[in-house]
Order: sequence, then structure tokens, then C-alpha cells
Amino acid sequence: MADVASNPTYDQLELLSEMGRDFASSLDIQAALERAVSHITDYVEAEGGALFLLDEEGSTLTCHACVGATDIIGLTLPSDQGIVGRCVQNDKSEIVRDVQSDPNFYGKFDEKTGYTTRSILCATLSVKDQRIGAIELINKRTGDHLFEDSDLRLLESMSASAALAIHNARMAEALVEQERFARELELAAEIQRSLLPERGDDDFPIHGINIPARTVSGDFYDFFQMEDGRICFNLGDVSGKGMNAALLMAKTASLFRCLGKTVHQPGKLLSRINQEICETAARGMFVTMIVGIYNPRTGIIRFANAGHEPPLFFDTSGDVSSFPADAPPAGISPYLVGDEGYPEEELQLDGGAFYIFTDGVTEGYLADGSEMGVDGLTDILHAGKSQLTASRLNEVVKKIDLGAGPLRDDITILAIDDGTRVQKKLNPETPKTQVIDLDDGDEDELVQIDIPSRADRLRLVRSAVTQAGELCDFDGELVQNVVIAVDEALQNVIRHAYGNHPGGEIKITISRTASKFIVHIRDYADSIDVSKVKPRDLGDIKPGGLGTHFIREVMDEVTFLPTPDERGNLLRMVKQVG
Amino acid sequence: MKHEITDQGGALIVSFIGDVDLQTSPEARNVLLECVAKGRSILVDLSKVGYIDSSGVASLVESFQKAKKSGQNLVLVSVSDGALRVLKLARLDKVFTICDTLEDGLAAVG
Repeated sequence: MADVASNPTYDQLELLSEMGRDFASSLDIQAALERAVSHITDYVEAEGGALFLLDEEGSTLTCHACVGATDIIGLTLPSDQGIVGRCVQNDKSEIVRDVQSDPNFYGKFDEKTGYTTRSILCATLSVKDQRIGAIELINKRTGDHLFEDSDLRLLESMSASAALAIHNARMAEALVEQERFARELELAAEIQRSLLPERGDDDFPIHGINIPARTVSGDFYDFFQMEDGRICFNLGDVSGKGMNAALLMAKTASLFRCLGKTVHQPGKLLSRINQEICETAARGMFVTMIVGIYNPRTGIIRFANAGHEPPLFFDTSGDVSSFPADAPPAGISPYLVGDEGYPEEELQLDGGAFYIFTDGVTEGYLADGSEMGVDGLTDILHAGKSQLTASRLNEVVKKIDLGAGPLRDDITILAIDDGTRVQKKLNPETPKTQVIDLDDGDEDELVQIDIPSRADRLRLVRSAVTQAGELCDFDGELVQNVVIAVDEALQNVIRHAYGNHPGGEIKITISRTASKFIVHIRDYADSIDVSKVKPRDLGDIKPGGLGTHFIREVMDEVTFLPTPDERGNLLRMVKQVG
Repeated sequence: MKHEITDQGGALIVSFIGDVDLQTSPEARNVLLECVAKGRSILVDLSKVGYIDSSGVASLVESFQKAKKSGQNLVLVSVSDGALRVLKLARLDKVFTICDTLEDGLAAVG
């Protein structure tokens, strides 16, 4: 296009089509604007030209491109000022032949630059009813420097096509931006999906489903098995929808994962999560959530509820009970619950199933246009009683109209089904798909030692464990690790169970099977709260509290067994050998 | 458990002999803290420690932190296999400076 101006016979139509192509093919609107102003100015034979664009609100006009005596790129004026402002406001092109006496003429630039503006041509840029801005030309190069009516018509025709070109280029830019945003949203959704736990085997007691209403979700659920076999779970619903809710969801889900590893009491865990959210969450956003721990050996769950929809419990006879929250949602205030944490409830599932869900489920529309409601949900879950847990949840989601239009809300439902445990107990001979607890014969007792609860007797036990291991020809390193675990477990009994009183009785039994080195430690002190026995956080280096970590680290299985006479404690530790 | 303290030039060398366990760790703790209080660099010789438990490790950590706070060095030397196993279990083998020999230890504390 560089030769346009130098070629006086260049056809106007050709210039227009060239300009259109330039806008369409250029990725840089700014550069295309500058070229357009330059060509138009040359074509109309003006001394100078400037292109103004309206901002999004239409309140200011900014010069985006100019040629000629004065560089005013970046100049911004209210959209109703100057001759250019008047044209834009009236959406009408103008020719001003006596500039100096025009009431809207802004003479400051002439004063500054010593340039004399004599005549102005101003054509508005608009597409349909949408005003974009205006092109202003100053002083005809030839003759008396005044523009003619024919110049205005020429400028109008060119500005019309320039407006269209700018409009199209902006749309294309917006489209690219939109696509970029959609891609980012999809990435965010992918990260969110990765925060959900992997689906367990069919007979795994906990299953969940999450379907976001939009690309990203403000709901979440999670569960993980703790070292002692119990399963920590949660389900939450962040207030609001969209990206901010999704971010708070991601944060809360991470807090649960992270703090859940060390805080093994649901009420306390929820309270810690609440404190963390309160410290940093944006104003006015909160999370309703339920945190709980299920013991797949006993069928007992303990849970705490922060302002969430009441979960439902279906017992084996079909009775349904509901558990409304006693505490406010998380993220509102760290002071609403005391140091003891959120109130906990304990429930023996006894073969029944416990369901936690968000209001996206109960407020979901059914095919007939009505809301599912708690009753509708109850009916579906009753009807699916004989199905696998995961299929039962699928039935619920299937009933919600996912069809036309976006969902009203994220849909999330979590089931803790104790049925499998009870089933296994009734049919213990049912072969398991994965044999973990290999039955490799009776436990063969090697030695039993009774000691008083005194620190100076620990050496005797260490020596006995070492000797027993040697007798069995177990690997020396392995035996030394077991020695550490037994020593630390006995320390716990002496220090914590018996409170350092030397008169307590401790019975240590060392036995073996073909594949296991087993130690039982029995005491007769008050029963200890098993949930308080937990490994320390190794990131936090300070003296003390290491013993339990050693035990968990070294042994393959550590369990507190019920004692035959319900007195004291019985700890069973197993190390796999060979 | 017994212990020996030798003054070797720039550093005090504390050697423990025997098991550092629930019974003996209070004594080990006192010995270590007294050495730290003298404001010198300390080498803890663990070559003759057959067994150390969590309470023994805790005493080491406590003295190590006290020493560090007052700008002293506390370095473990000639750590026995048994003691090293426990330090590794506690993930403390990377926290402490552990030297193979007394000479290395003296060089480490400068």
C-alpha cells in the first residue's frame, strides 16, 4: 500500500478494498489504524488526520492514530468535547470551514504548536447503531486550505468502510480472547477433576459423583484411607458459582487433604479448615461442608457438619433419619466454634448407608419440571437398595434433567455404604478379589515376657525381640526395626498409659507365622483414645513425639484390638518377613 | 550408658557408650545441654551407641537447636549403624551434620 499516495490515479474503491484486507489480515489493529489514517489523509489531500475511538463506556474519545503536524496519539477527551465530540454525540459528519470561530474548537494545540487550524472535516465511525469513534482531517493541502463538500463525501465513504473493518477486527480479537478463556477454563476444570478421588472398587464402601453446572465446580468431595484403615471423607459446597467459587473449592479441598493427614478428629479437622479459610478467603464467601471418618471394621462413622444440608441415613430396615447441622458454615468466623472444634456425631451404620449431598441434587429438576426434593431423593435411593453403591448414585443423577440449558447448580453426592462390611461378615468365606490378609497358618508363639512399667526393663525386651528374630533367622535389619517399634510402643505404655508409674503390668508376646513377625503388647491401664495416637509431622522438627512415627514407619500393620475383658489396651504390630 | 567428655582444641567431644533409651536419655540430655552451655563447638561421638530411641533422638535435637541458636556447631561423628537407622527413620540424617571420623568432625566445626 506504500505506493497508494504516490499514485494519483489510484482508484478510491481499490483503496477501500485494500484497507479492508489490511484490517482483516493484520493481527495488529493499531498498525492497521495508523496505515488507514495515513492513506485517507493522503487521499483527501489533508495536512493532518487523526482517528479517535470511543472507550467501552462511550465516555471518552482517545486518539489512536494520527498523521501530520501535531502528534496527539494518546490524547483523551470527554466524548462530548471538541468538534470531534460533537460529531460523535450527534452521530453526524461535519465540515467546518471557519474553525477559529467554532464554539467547540479546542485551540490549545494551535497555541502550543504554532500551527493554524483553518478547516476541519470530521466523519463519524459507526456500524449499525454502534458508535465507534470518528476520523478528523485538518486543513486542505491545496488552495485556500479549506475543505469542499466533495471532500466530506469522500471521507464519509471511506470512514464507513474503516468502521466496518475496525468492528470486524475487534470481533475477531474478542473471539480469540474468548477461545483463550475457554481453554483456560477447561484447564482449570481438569485440575479440579484431578482433585476428586479416584473411583474405588465396587465393594469399596465410599463412592461419590460430582457434575459441575458450568465448566468448573464449586462443589467437591474427597476421601482417603488413613494408615489405620479408617477412611476420612468430606463433601462441601462453596457459596456462589463460577471461577471464584472454583478457586475456593480447590483451596478447601487441598486443606482437607493436607490437614486430614494429621488431624484425625472430624470436628477438630473442620475447625482447622475453618480457621484457614477465614484467614484468607474473600469476603462474603463461605463453604458448607461435612467432614467425617468411617471405620470399615466397625461400621461406625463420626462426622461434623458445618452448615451443610442434613445428610441422610438409611438403616437396613429402610428407616431414614436426617442430621441437621448444629454449626455454621466454614469461612464465616474463626470464633464461632470453640477450641474443642465443631460438634461431632457418631453413628453405627450397622449395614446401612449414609448419604451426603449438595442442594444441586435436591433442587435439581426432574423430567416433569418439578424439583427432586429430599423425598424424591429418598425414593430413588430406596428403589436402588439392591444395586451397587455407585450405580445407585448414578440413578440419582440420571433422574435429574441434565438436558437443555445449563444446570442450576453443581450436583454432588457421596455415599458411605456399610452394606459391604456386613455382607462380608455374614459370608466370611466369600473369596476376596484381592487377598491382603493372607492366612498363612496359626501364629506360633515364640516367647512371652511380663515386665513392670519401668524404663530400665526395656533393654530386656529389646534383647528378647532380637533373640527371637535371630531364632527365626529373620533378616537382621528387619529385626532391628521391629526392636525399635516394640521399644517405642512400650515407652508409650510406660509414659502415657501408666503415666510413668512403675507398678504397671505389661505383657509382651512375640510370635510368628510363615510370613509375619508379630508382637502383641498388653497393658492394664485405662483405655487410651486411639484417635489421639498419631504420628508427628516430620516437617516440624522438635524434640518428642517421634515414637509413634517410628512405629508406623517400621511396622506393616499396627492395630489396637479389643481386649477380652474390656480392660486396658492390646496393641498388635505385624511385620511382613521375606 | 556411660559417657566421656574430652576437650580437643576447638571442640568438646562427647562420647556415649551403651544404649541411649528411655532409662538413660535424661542423663544424655543433661550432659549435652551442659556442653552446649559452655559455648563451644561440640562433636557427639555415637560410635559406641548400640541403640538410641526416640527420647535419645529428642535430646540430640534439643541440644542441636540450642547450640544453633547461640551460634555454636553440634556435629555427630562416627554414628553407629543402629543409631543411624533411627536418625534416618526420624528423617534427621539430613538435618544433622554427620561426619564419618573425629578428624572430619573437627574439620567441619573449624
